[in-house]
Amino acid sequence: MSTLQSIPVVATKAEKPSGGTGNLLANVFDELTAFCRSRSLFMLHYCTGCGAIELPPAMTSRFDMERLGIQPMVTPRQADILLVTGYVSTKTLKRIILTYEQMNSPKYVIGICSCTVNGGMYWQSYATAKVLADYMPVDMYIAGCMPRPEAVISGLRELMANIRAGRSDNWRDYYRRYDHYLGNQQRLFGENWQTPTDVIGEARHYGQFGPETLGEHTALLERHQTPLLPFEMRLGLGGEKTGVENKGDKR
Amino acid sequence: MNALDLLLSLSALMLLAAFLFGQTRVYPWLAGILFTGQLVLLAGSDLPMAAGVGLEIFGQQVGWQLDGFGRYFALITIGAALASNVYMGGEWGERYQADGHSLRWLHAALAGNVLAMLLLLSSKDLIAFFIGWELTSWAGFLLMAQGGERALRAALRYVPYAMGGAMAVLGGLVLTLSWTGTLDLLELSRVMSTLGNGQLALLLALFAIGFSIKMGLLPFHLWQAPAYAEAAGPGTAFLGAISARMGLFALGILLVKLMTLSRVADLAFIDGLFTARDLLAWVAALTIVLPTFTALKQNDARYLLAWHGIGQGGYMLLGIVMGDATGSAGGLLHVFNYATYQAALVLAVFAVMHRTGTADLNSLGGLVTRMPLTFLVMLLGIIGLAGLPPMNGFVSKWLVYRSLMVEGRPLLFLMTVIGTLGTILSVYKLIHNTFLGQLRAEHEHIREAPWSMTVPMLALVILAFVTGVAPGLALSWVAEAQAALGLPVLAYTLGGIESPRGSLDMLWIVGVLFAGFGIGALLFYGAGGRSKRVHQLDNYAGGHFLSADVRYHYSDHFYAGLMHRIGPLYRGSFTWLESAVASATDLAASLMQAWYRQAVPALTLLVAAVLGLGWMVWR
Repeated sequence: MSTLQSIPVVATKAEKPSGGTGNLLANVFDELTAFCRSRSLFMLHYCTGCGAIELPPAMTSRFDMERLGIQPMVTPRQADILLVTGYVSTKTLKRIILTYEQMNSPKYVIGICSCTVNGGMYWQSYATAKVLADYMPVDMYIAGCMPRPEAVISGLRELMANIRAGRSDNWRDYYRRYDHYLGNQQRLFGENWQTPTDVIGEARHYGQFGPETLGEHTALLERHQTPLLPFEMRLGLGGEKTGVENKGDKR
Repeated sequence: MNALDLLLSLSALMLLAAFLFGQTRVYPWLAGILFTGQLVLLAGSDLPMAAGVGLEIFGQQVGWQLDGFGRYFALITIGAALASNVYMGGEWGERYQADGHSLRWLHAALAGNVLAMLLLLSSKDLIAFFIGWELTSWAGFLLMAQGGERALRAALRYVPYAMGGAMAVLGGLVLTLSWTGTLDLLELSRVMSTLGNGQLALLLALFAIGFSIKMGLLPFHLWQAPAYAEAAGPGTAFLGAISARMGLFALGILLVKLMTLSRVADLAFIDGLFTARDLLAWVAALTIVLPTFTALKQNDARYLLAWHGIGQGGYMLLGIVMGDATGSAGGLLHVFNYATYQAALVLAVFAVMHRTGTADLNSLGGLVTRMPLTFLVMLLGIIGLAGLPPMNGFVSKWLVYRSLMVEGRPLLFLMTVIGTLGTILSVYKLIHNTFLGQLRAEHEHIREAPWSMTVPMLALVILAFVTGVAPGLALSWVAEAQAALGLPVLAYTLGGIESPRGSLDMLWIVGVLFAGFGIGALLFYGAGGRSKRVHQLDNYAGGHFLSADVRYHYSDHFYAGLMHRIGPLYRGSFTWLESAVASATDLAASLMQAWYRQAVPALTLLVAAVLGLGWMVWR
């Protein structure tokens, strides 16, 4: 990461799906989906560092992001954009990855401030993760120390244009090359590192499972992982007597 | 033996059976069959049902006769008793006995309540009425006192209220007899409205105080919530569903049948501006608002529902006091509607208590995955309690609202809307803190309540749903009650009411509502119907990694923002008033005791005896 060229400022355009000539309506529907998707963006801002201070003016009446269709959202499950607004310490990064994995696809990550690009003024810090893109795919960097609200909005508009044109789908990369990202995470956090999200299962769910999804790092993960299965909705009206069992029965 | 005799004998038989073998497994089945038989008998008989037997006490005829108004309440009473009976006939009753309580007494108290209420509802004159009134009070006390120390303590608080009320009613009864010379209700309905304003006002005050105590109208409501909430589970459901409505029944007879509402409106405090009828309407409106917002503050699910019981009584009285066809139908229909979902809600809360051992809203949560049927019951129940379609609570509240608007009472309308707002907020708190959110580690292994408990709950909410979709089914009983009472009768259809000034057709409303759900379902399943379940600890807490020992379920100090605004308005004025009256009584009693006992007892006795003898001689 010593040269500027290696920083992914704009994501590369995704390959056109081959053989997509048959159904015209399918394209229309995709167009419509892309348009709607780009016009209703909910962002979860994970406010690390100083860049967060530029968000209130960007959101409130002076610059008013909402006129572009961009609003804050309180939970990752309903959010589309994860906004990381400054330097990322090792401790914080764990939380950011947890939050990112809890978001539903398609999801987009924006790194604001130079610190997310290359560590910025924390370049020499031992406790700071320098390059956010090593740990999760980043769709857009808005560099600066700190970028002004105009820059934030211009970056968001560019992201909108990318989504509209189908150029911004780095979220697929996380599933396709999960082993790579997990390896970087494990290097930083240790081999016991795990999150509750079953990323490999999601890769299959979204149809993004590829040859690089699994590898030596996911094998390591499987050895340590204690899965967190959802509670089943259960009636439990079985015939056996219950009596006063739930007083003493402890698990 | 005619139908009413049979009905009352069946009820008495059941009381006897409950005393003899209420603790056995056979009794609930027998009682279930007998209750069902009573329901069929009631619904199928021609009106009015007169009893074959009568008494004569001091030259006064005492008789029993059930008209449409009484039958409406009797049907609800027996229905509620049936549901409670099934509920406690199974595992709940076994646990109750295992905990060292007497199931026999609980069954007997329930059967006794039904008998007492039937006697009250079918009274033909004021003596039969007073007998029924007292029996109902004491049977109610018996049911409240079942279920432990706290229940008994709360029930004892009811005793002075009930006695005070009974004295007021008795006083009114004596004055009625001396002023009109008759105690027959039919006779009185002709004579009473011809009394002078002063006499009528005194009678109204005496009777209305007595009846308000039973119904829990402001300011006589303080006893009700603890007494009902602390009772044994099915007892709470029965008491909450119908017991307090005996006060409404009595008020209905008094205000509409005996005195007539137009006569009550003649008793003016300020001529033409504020009459006794307005006073009653405002008492009803305040009874809606204040107890509902007290319910909002409760942290015990049973207390929350019991406070709502007081508040919902206000809607019923308000509807009846409005006196037009729509309003009174709304008020009367609300008795039935409220009984269906309140009983279901209370039973659901006790099902949760049965499994978890607590009704504390701060120590539950996330039970939807473990008790989905109970959740469904509570969901439908709170929709009814909050008065939203498609449940029946919407219909009766709509009728009351409409009457208030059409009759030009915007301030009263505002009060009812504020009350409904408080209801919606507090029922959300109820379901959120119990069933939504985080399932506690100690509740992970619990299971759904047994069939003996879920079936009556489900039956009640299904009834509430069906009469919500087709309110005409219940409105036929209501129209009959209106006719028996002498109110204008509502022109109803199967789906609601038909009126040039605005109709209501629940069939359409529910149809549109479910069409909306259908569109949502089409979109969801049309788009693949993909969904993913996650573990509750895979949750967002500002990026915090959650573990089972971390509590993130928000239940304590619910509505902190609202309480910041309205919190200072809770001043406990009525509690203060109650304790002030209690202290004053206490002081008067001590003074009497000091004077009579400790001063010069011999002289006091002598003076009293001489005065007494002198009065008798002089007379």
